[in-house]
Amino acid sequence: MADPVPSQAAVPADSGVSSSDMLFFYQRLLPFRQIFQWLNHSPKPSKDFTMREFAYEYRTGAYQRYNSFSNLEEFKKSVVQANPTRFEVGAVYSVNPKERKRLPKQALKPLAKELVFDIDLTDYDEIRTCCSGTDICKKCWRFIQVAIKILDAALREDFGFNRLIWVFSGRRGAHCWVSDARARCLDETTRKSIVEYLDVLGSRLNRQGKNLLSLKRPFHPHVERSFDLLKNEFVDIILKEQDPWNTSSSEPSDKSWEQVETLLSYVPEKPLQEELRRKWKLQTSVSTSMSKWEDITVIAKKILKHQNQVNALNEAKKDIILFYMYPRLDIEVSKQLIHLLKSPFCVHPSTGNICVPFDPHHNLSNNEEDDDYGFNPTNAPNLRQLQNEIEVWDVRRVNRDSSQPLEDGESEADKRISEYEKTSLKPYVEYFQKFVNNLLKDELKDSGKRGRDDDTLEF
Amino acid sequence: MFRQVKRRTAGRRNFEGTYTPRNDLPNHRLSFYDVPPTEEITLEQFESWAIDRLKILIEIESCMARGRSFRETETAVRPLLQKLLPLGTWPVNNNSQIDELKKDYYSHFILRLVFCRTEDLRRKFVRNETVLFKIRYNAMQPKEQHQFITNHHDKLPWNYIDSDEKLALFDQLFAATGATVKSALAAESDGQITTDQLRAHFRNENFIKVPFEKITSLVATRLVLLKLGYGYVPSTLQLSLLALEFQELLQRDLLRTFQSIPRLEEDDRLLPLLNHLGQNFASMEYDPAFSADPSLVSDINAASVTTPAITNHYPLCAKHLQTNMIASSHLRHEGRQQLSLFLKGIGLSVDEALKFWSHSFTSGPHAMTPERFNKEFKYNIRHTYGLEGARTNYKPWDCARILLRPLPGKNEYHGCPYRDLSVDALTTQLGEMGVGAVDMKGVLNDVERKDYTVACTRVFEITHNVQAEHIGHPNLYFDRSRQLERAKTETA
Ligand code: SF4
Ligand SMILES: [Zn+2]
Repeated sequence: MADPVPSQAAVPADSGVSSSDMLFFYQRLLPFRQIFQWLNHSPKPSKDFTMREFAYEYRTGAYQRYNSFSNLEEFKKSVVQANPTRFEVGAVYSVNPKERKRLPKQALKPLAKELVFDIDLTDYDEIRTCCSGTDICKKCWRFIQVAIKILDAALREDFGFNRLIWVFSGRRGAHCWVSDARARCLDETTRKSIVEYLDVLGSRLNRQGKNLLSLKRPFHPHVERSFDLLKNEFVDIILKEQDPWNTSSSEPSDKSWEQVETLLSYVPEKPLQEELRRKWKLQTSVSTSMSKWEDITVIAKKILKHQNQVNALNEAKKDIILFYMYPRLDIEVSKQLIHLLKSPFCVHPSTGNICVPFDPHHNLSNNEEDDDYGFNPTNAPNLRQLQNEIEVWDVRRVNRDSSQPLEDGESEADKRISEYEKTSLKPYVEYFQKFVNNLLKDELKDSGKRGRDDDTLEF
Repeated sequence: MFRQVKRRTAGRRNFEGTYTPRNDLPNHRLSFYDVPPTEEITLEQFESWAIDRLKILIEIESCMARGRSFRETETAVRPLLQKLLPLGTWPVNNNSQIDELKKDYYSHFILRLVFCRTEDLRRKFVRNETVLFKIRYNAMQPKEQHQFITNHHDKLPWNYIDSDEKLALFDQLFAATGATVKSALAAESDGQITTDQLRAHFRNENFIKVPFEKITSLVATRLVLLKLGYGYVPSTLQLSLLALEFQELLQRDLLRTFQSIPRLEEDDRLLPLLNHLGQNFASMEYDPAFSADPSLVSDINAASVTTPAITNHYPLCAKHLQTNMIASSHLRHEGRQQLSLFLKGIGLSVDEALKFWSHSFTSGPHAMTPERFNKEFKYNIRHTYGLEGARTNYKPWDCARILLRPLPGKNEYHGCPYRDLSVDALTTQLGEMGVGAVDMKGVLNDVERKDYTVACTRVFEITHNVQAEHIGHPNLYFDRSRQLERAKTETA
């Protein structure tokens, strides 16, 4: 639902994923067991899994809701049989979703779901200059990277959540799944309040007003912490890489001038605004974002007479930094309990990228180049690539098997090896497994505690 | 009305006798009313307790409708509470106090039955009960407040933080809550608060830690500091937090009461009583005690009731009726009833009433003959005074009753002008009474919200330049007005 896929016709033929590719993926690569454990919260099938809604999206565009499964085997069998382009995870209901037709309508009540967040680069289109639309590069991924840092810190430090995982959405964004028991049972009012707490830039409506951030001073500690994270990256990401106010070329685009106006709209004091605009309009050669940012300080020194005017300008600069870099959330996704979101490890139908969970602080790809990014979406595991890797591995084994005498037990070990372990998907599945193991440990502790003093636990 | 029923219940009284701790009654002066009472009470108690509480809620409703601040409402309601629903001192230690608590507890539950039946009534009840709860919490000493919080830890997972934790978080607490505390302080001391004063205050501010799920609106607006799943709430916000909890519980319980009402309706003793109580929020019967002062009645006669000295004290409905009657030398049945009962209420004797009515009907351009008046209308006037027919001593109508009667048609002037006049006509009339443009807006707002008695009370306040309790009866309007005038001439 988030990150909607354009109709099949829009998918370029070369990167498109065929239904037999998908079948191969479901049969051999997708880590069903780990997903089952993640949603089930215990080794044996529990209501958290059996009453959970899954939805399938098909090649035809058809969308089938209210699937549910009684165990891991049924889950895998159903997905393989249906072979959807992707499947989505919804809420845990009071009754079995697939049996809803036999029950009165109000019986199907959503009870719990992970708290989820969705950040997508399309929400950054007004400010990113490197790409637009569905395109993405390493430069604009830095917006996502910094957004993740901010949300991750708030969710852990402010709300006390520990079991959260970031998942690549397959193209130009990331999802966050918060799996703490406390997060799963939040009602919609509370989810909404968390989203509003995090949505510092305010609703899209306010954003049209550009400088209507109206954040109270001193900043709330969450805003202050976010600002501290952002101010260090502002020079690199905005001034150097994105350079949104660059009007150097002989015919600068309308968009750059629009951005310059946005920038000016934050500048307090009309005379300062006008002086800056005059100067920049006259500049014919080089006029980068960096030089403009410096101009503000230089010209302000000449024009602003009072200390409180200077203070106002300093505060305005903070607003600018926040406006250009603070996470832009797709808030609707997070508010509703019944909202579905694409499962981790699905394949993005048009790019073939796997929606892998990733560690935002530390890259899992074993590729030094990616170290700066934590996760580099342009190097994300891709279905085509995984298929090659399996082939290569299998060929190697055949060679090895025929050229070398078997040692005891080796072929046994080979047989037990999962297919994903032959591929670059391996570190991501292991990362996910570790996350799931920690979650299961928590649940075990909690259920022990709940057994002992049921009535003292109140949320 | 309840005679037969009273006999039935009389034998079942069992609330008298010595006090032994009851588990269905709280031992505290403040309560979430979470356990319904089970003891029996008499129907007299049932009714009078409910009415006493209703009076308080009506006062609160009226204060709020007139835009009174919480502080002003508090000041207006406290003396009333002392009179009608006192709770004694803390800690609770004697039997008579227990009876006060019992009255408080039962009256709350009785009114739940009355007000659970429509969305609108539920909303009003919850709103007013919540204000009452806040007023009472505010009146308690910190120690008792603290005890209350601790006793309800299941509902109020509040943890008071110690000074070490506070010191460690001082700057963050200040950044998150400074502005809120500052405006609360400024409102209390109505003056500017400097940053230094604020910091000094912060050192003494008591913070509690609450799971963030309990304070969603404070989270959404980033008004508190959050740390590891807890919000840090300053004492200035704690009362509204408590009120929110109270409000939510009551809302939920009220719906449950409503769902169980069908069973209750089989109880023929209660239904009429409940209907009577619930008729309207302003349905309080006019209390004749207000007009008992004979010195105020002595100057009421057929001649004086047409002079400004008296008519200046009329509420708009009475003014409207009398002016139009005199202008047209006539008044149709509904209007006659309403006006003659009002006049009876202000102290016009039956003889003076006959003089007044016959004079009005038999003079002027549209006058009728005295014979016709005697034939057709004399009986009617005497009937009003209980001297004919069933000899019922009719009481003057209260606003609720007036608002329930049929609407006035052409050439009819009964009803409540705040409801029945066009905005233009109403504005003109009020202008003549001395309501200025700014105040007019407020009055018209009330009218638009259909809060006619609130509009009327507001006009009383404007024209008398006082803050007044809610008025739900034309005669109360008249009496209050005269009392004020007398108080003024006495001090002058
Ligand atoms: S509110 Fe009551 S007293 Fe006032 S005008 Fe209407 S009926 Fe008369
Ligand atoms: Zn880019």
